[in-house]
Amino acid sequence: MMLLERIGTFFTIILQLVSEPITLAILFGSVLLGIIFGAMPGLTSTLGVALLTALTYGMDTATAMVCLLAIYVGGTYGGSYASILINIPGTAAAAATALDGYPLALKGEAGRAIGLTTTASAIGTSISMLFVVSISPIISYFALQFTSFEFFLLAFFGILISGTLTSPDLVIKGWISGFLGLFMACVGRDLLQFYPRFTFGFTQLDSGVEVVPVLIGAFGIPQIIQVLKERFQIGETQKLQRIIPEIGTVIRNVPAIIRSALIGVGIGAVPGIGEDIAGWVSYGTAKNTSKHPETFGKGELQGVLASETANNACVGGAQIPLLNLGIPGSPPAAMLLGALMLHGVTPGPMITFEHPTFITEVAAILLLSSLAMWVTGMLLAKQVVKVLRIPPPIFMPIIGMLCIIGSYSLGLNIFNLYLMLPVGIICYFLTEMGYPIAPLVIGVILGPMADENLRRALMVSQGSFMPVFTRPVSLLLFLVIVWTVISQFQFYKNFKNKLVARLRRKKSVAAVGSNGPPAEE
Amino acid sequence: MLEKDKLRKADIFSGVIFILFGFWIISQALKMPMKDSWGGVQNVWFVSPALFPLLVGAVISTLGILLAGMAVISVGGQEFGRLLRWLASSQLIVFLQTNGVIRFYAMSVLFFGFVYLNLPRIDFFLCSILFLAVFISMFYFDDDRLLKKLFAFYLAGSIVCLGYFALGLSETLEATLPYPNDWLAVVFIVSYLAYAWILIRQVPALRKKYRTSLVLAVVPPFLICPVFKYFLLVPMPTEGLVVAMLDAIWYWDF
Repeated sequence: MMLLERIGTFFTIILQLVSEPITLAILFGSVLLGIIFGAMPGLTSTLGVALLTALTYGMDTATAMVCLLAIYVGGTYGGSYASILINIPGTAAAAATALDGYPLALKGEAGRAIGLTTTASAIGTSISMLFVVSISPIISYFALQFTSFEFFLLAFFGILISGTLTSPDLVIKGWISGFLGLFMACVGRDLLQFYPRFTFGFTQLDSGVEVVPVLIGAFGIPQIIQVLKERFQIGETQKLQRIIPEIGTVIRNVPAIIRSALIGVGIGAVPGIGEDIAGWVSYGTAKNTSKHPETFGKGELQGVLASETANNACVGGAQIPLLNLGIPGSPPAAMLLGALMLHGVTPGPMITFEHPTFITEVAAILLLSSLAMWVTGMLLAKQVVKVLRIPPPIFMPIIGMLCIIGSYSLGLNIFNLYLMLPVGIICYFLTEMGYPIAPLVIGVILGPMADENLRRALMVSQGSFMPVFTRPVSLLLFLVIVWTVISQFQFYKNFKNKLVARLRRKKSVAAVGSNGPPAEE
Repeated sequence: MLEKDKLRKADIFSGVIFILFGFWIISQALKMPMKDSWGGVQNVWFVSPALFPLLVGAVISTLGILLAGMAVISVGGQEFGRLLRWLASSQLIVFLQTNGVIRFYAMSVLFFGFVYLNLPRIDFFLCSILFLAVFISMFYFDDDRLLKKLFAFYLAGSIVCLGYFALGLSETLEATLPYPNDWLAVVFIVSYLAYAWILIRQVPALRKKYRTSLVLAVVPPFLICPVFKYFLLVPMPTEGLVVAMLDAIWYWDF
C-alpha cells in the first residue's frame, strides 16, 4: 500500500509539473543552459548550479529544484560535446569520454556518438532516479537510529573519503583541504554557546561564513584564472552528422548501460566524490570486462557509453546521501545543499517527516530532467555545438561578473564578496599546488554538523568517548575512518604486500605438498 | 597544476604554512572559554567552543608536518638548498615578470579593483562595464605586449580612483555635481577605451576584436542587471547614475 501510494504521489507530481507551462519552460531552459555550461570548456555544472542558485532565490522550492536539478543533469551530459568534438573535456566528468569520443568523431561518427551518449545519459539518470526513490526510505530509517556520535563520525568520514578520492596528488592534500573547510565552518558564533570564534570583531562574520558565496568563489574564480592564465584555446570542431541513435545499438548495449549506471549510482552515493570519478571507474570496468580491450581508446562506442552513463547516473546517486544524511555526494550536490538551505529545506533523516513528498519530488524532477535532456540533446545538439566556437576570453569575464552579482544577491551583502574573492584566490593557489577543492567545500558544509554533534555527543556521555566503541554503527564508522587513514601510508602498504606474499607462498607450498614432491629431472 | 618535481618543492612551503596555520588556530582556540564561565554558564571542556577548533588546528598542523616532511625527503637536502638560493636570487624577479604571472596579476587586480574599490562606491552598471571592457579587451586581443600596456593603464587609473576615494573628494564634489563617482567611472571607461583604440587602430584584426569587446562590455550588464534589479527585486550593490536613469524609464517617472 505504501509503495502504491508512493508511486501515485510520484506520478501526481510529474503531472503537476508537466501541466504548468512555466515549469516546463524553466525545465527545458535550465537543461539547455546546463548543456551549454557543460559543453563550454572551462565552465562546469557546479558553477552552473552555483550561478543559477542566485536566480532561484525568489522561486518556490519545487520550481527552484526543477531549475537546479535540470542544470545539473544538463551540465553533466553537456561535457560530452566538447570531449567528442574537440577532444577537450567540457567538464572533468567527461574526461574519460574524450578517450574514445574524439577518435569516433575523427572517423566521421561524432553525430552517432552524441546521439548514443544522449540516450545513455538519459537512461543513466532515470536508473539513478529509481535508486533515489527505493533506497532513500531505507537509509532514512537507519539514519534515524543514529545518535550524535554517528553523525560526527559520518561527517568526518565524508571529509576524509572525499579528500582521499579526489586528490590529484598526495592524499594528505585532500585531507588538509577538507580540514581547511572545517576551519572555515568554525568561523562565527558557535552553535551551542554563541561564542564568537575567529570573527575578529566583524559583526558580519557572527552568523558564520555564507556557504553559497564561498562555493561560488571556490569553484568560479580559480576556473576563470586558470583558463585565462594558461591561454586556453579551443580547437577545430568536428562535424556532426545524424544524431538520432540506432535502437539496435542501444538495445545491444543495455547490459553495459545498466552496469555503468550502477557504478555511477554507487560512486555518487559516496560522500563528496564527483561524476569524474564515476566516469573513469566505469570506463575502466568496461575496458577490463570487454572481449576486445584493445579497441578502447581507438573509437570504441562502449567506452563512450560507459563513462557518459555513469557520470549522469552519479547525479541521482549523489542525491541519496544529500537528501537522507545531509551529506553531499558530489560538488554540484554541495551547491544544491546550499540552495536547499536557502529555501528552508534541511536535508537529513528528518526530511521524510518535515517534507514527506520531497524525495519523491526530487525523483520526479530527475526523471523529467533526463527526458528534457534527451529531447534537447536530440533537437538542439547541432546548435549547441556552435557555442564551442566562442573564445574563453569573451565568456570568462562575463562569468566573473555573474559570480559577483550572484554572490551578492544571495544575502544582499557586499561583505559576501569581500569573502568570496580571497577564498577564490586561495583556492586557485591550492588547485595549482595539487589540493582538491571538493573536500574543502564539503568541509565548509559538514563543519557545523561535525562540531555540533561532537559536543552534543560528549555532553550526553559526560565527556566519555566510550560510546564510539560500544555502539556498533559508531564502531564501524570509526574502524572505516582508521582504515581510510592508515591504508594511505607506506608502512601499511608494505605490511599488506608482505602479508599477501606470505599467504601466496604458504598457498603454493600447500599446493606443492598436496601434489607430492616435484619429479627430479 | 604544477609539474610533479615542482609540486614537491611547493609542498615544503605549503606544509610549513599549514603547520603555522594549525598552530595559529590552536593559539586562538586556547583563548576561548574552556572551563571558565561564559554567558553565566559554567563550562566543561567537552562543551567548550574551543574543542572543535583545537581538533581542526591539531590535525592541520600534523598533516602539515607530514606533508613538509615527505616533501623534504623527496626533494633532498641539496635540491632544497638550491631552491632556497633560487628564491634569494634575481631569477625570482625574472619569474615574477613572466607573461603567465602578469596575466595572473592582471586578473587579480581587476577582481580586487572591482570588488573592493569600485563596487561599493560606483554605480554597479558602470563598474561592471569598466570591469568587462578591461577584462575582455586585455585577454581577447591575445597579445602579451598589449596586455601589459592596458594593464598598466588600468592600474594607474585605479590608483587615481583610490586616491580620489581616500582623500574624500567625492563628498566635496557631491555638493556641486550629482553622482561624482559615477562620472569619474565614465571618464575612466572612456579614457581606457580611447587608449586601447590608439594602441590597436593600425591592426584590422584587433579593430574587430575591439568592437566585439566594446559590445560585450556594454550589453551583458544591461541584460543581467535588470533581471536582478527589476525581476528578482535585488537592489544593486551601489545604485547611481545609470540605475537612476533606468528607474526613471522602468517606473515611467518623467
